[in-house]
Amino acid sequence: MTDTKNHSSGGVTGSPEGRVFQPGSFAELVETVELAFDYRGDVTVSLKSGESLSGYLFNRQVSGSDSYLEVFPSNSPNAQHILYDQIASIAFTGEDTATGKSWETWIAKKDSERRAEVERVAAEARTRGIL
Amino acid sequence: MAVPLSQMATVTKYVLAQKLSGVKRYPLVLMLEPLFRCNLACAGCGKIQYPDHVLDKRLTPEQCWAAAEECGAPIVSIPGGEPMIHPEMAKIVRGLVEQKRYVYLCTNAILMERKLDEYQPSKFLTFSVHMDGLKDEHDLAVCRDGVYEVAVKAIKAALKRGHRVTTNTTLFDDANPERVRKFFDAMMELGVEGMMISPGYSYQKAPDQQHFLKRERTRELFSRILGNPKKSWQFNQSPLFLDFLMGRREYECTPWGNPTYNVFGWQKPCYLLQEGYAKTFRELMDSTEWDRYGTGRNEKCADCMVHCGYEPSAVEDTFGTLSGFGRTVKLTMLPTSR
Repeated sequence: MTDTKNHSSGGVTGSPEGRVFQPGSFAELVETVELAFDYRGDVTVSLKSGESLSGYLFNRQVSGSDSYLEVFPSNSPNAQHILYDQIASIAFTGEDTATGKSWETWIAKKDSERRAEVERVAAEARTRGIL
Repeated sequence: MAVPLSQMATVTKYVLAQKLSGVKRYPLVLMLEPLFRCNLACAGCGKIQYPDHVLDKRLTPEQCWAAAEECGAPIVSIPGGEPMIHPEMAKIVRGLVEQKRYVYLCTNAILMERKLDEYQPSKFLTFSVHMDGLKDEHDLAVCRDGVYEVAVKAIKAALKRGHRVTTNTTLFDDANPERVRKFFDAMMELGVEGMMISPGYSYQKAPDQQHFLKRERTRELFSRILGNPKKSWQFNQSPLFLDFLMGRREYECTPWGNPTYNVFGWQKPCYLLQEGYAKTFRELMDSTEWDRYGTGRNEKCADCMVHCGYEPSAVEDTFGTLSGFGRTVKLTMLPTSR
């Protein structure tokens, strides 16, 4: 597949956030849709007709020419059904919500609390002349 | 006895009816996720990492009631997200209780005390409060200080009003067995009906990837926690599942035992894995390739010993084998004989 950001094919590592894929074959399209299905952010599906749809890709069914995917658009409540045949490219346009940033922030906060506690105890010990 | 007799009788009657009808695969607990939005962002949770417009989606009460009817399981567990954020949660629960299903409303209890007035005490309704340990451990696990105290206060308020209250606890590889045993003492002193425990599942999307348990470590940890159990401890789950966690019984996963319905549809194949969605419960049961899942069959299942896959296996053991039935009776009557 063609990744228009990194110009590499296949072997996607890390989050695909920000990347655009233009599959060159059905096999590459299947691979791209699987990547988008696994992605915890919005994607933009561009169609061969020139239209595009942004939203969360939550389901897909691979079955030859009947293969389809389902997207919850970011601006409408109803799921949209798109045939694989209609797809020109898929861009990973939304933030990847599974990057673990909240956990890193929490751990940094706890670490800084622990460091502050260690410094407080050390300062108290110094005041008492026992350090 | 942690589970009331009426609930035991309902489950027994249901399982026997399935067996007599020759049904090979049947659901035991419907996992109903009416929303993914949560007011916490726990380190081990892989359920809530979605864009805002998905987190804002809600199942309607009618969708929830229809899913319960379609599935037919006698027990409905409502996790999420945090279900009490849903503005119509009390209405959803009322409808499920009217269907005479045993409802476990799984909550972190942050909103519980202020919303208690909306719920009528019933033998069919249990508040299952997420508690991952004593104060330090719980607040660390849920990534917010002060949540343990809020939950304890809410539990006391619910018990005072006559509600059934249990706790649900997920343990990771940094769990300290002695501290967990003290936590069990603390929960029983609070007066909860029983406790539910399970090892965490290694969600690929969870923020903390370091502390998920491997199988051998799970058995070792649970043996140390549950060996020499105290008389006061009550568990609101199958005693054979606890045997399984301690490595005393071997089970295959029963992924269809706790089917999951949420804003995307019926989740394939189980509560933990997301491999696609079916439009109906029947489609889920008929189109899922069940043989592809379970330990030894799928790398994503390799270390899983989670309740939603193995508690139904334990229940099947109880009703499917003499040794399972005998041991269940023994451990139910004499929990300290483990």
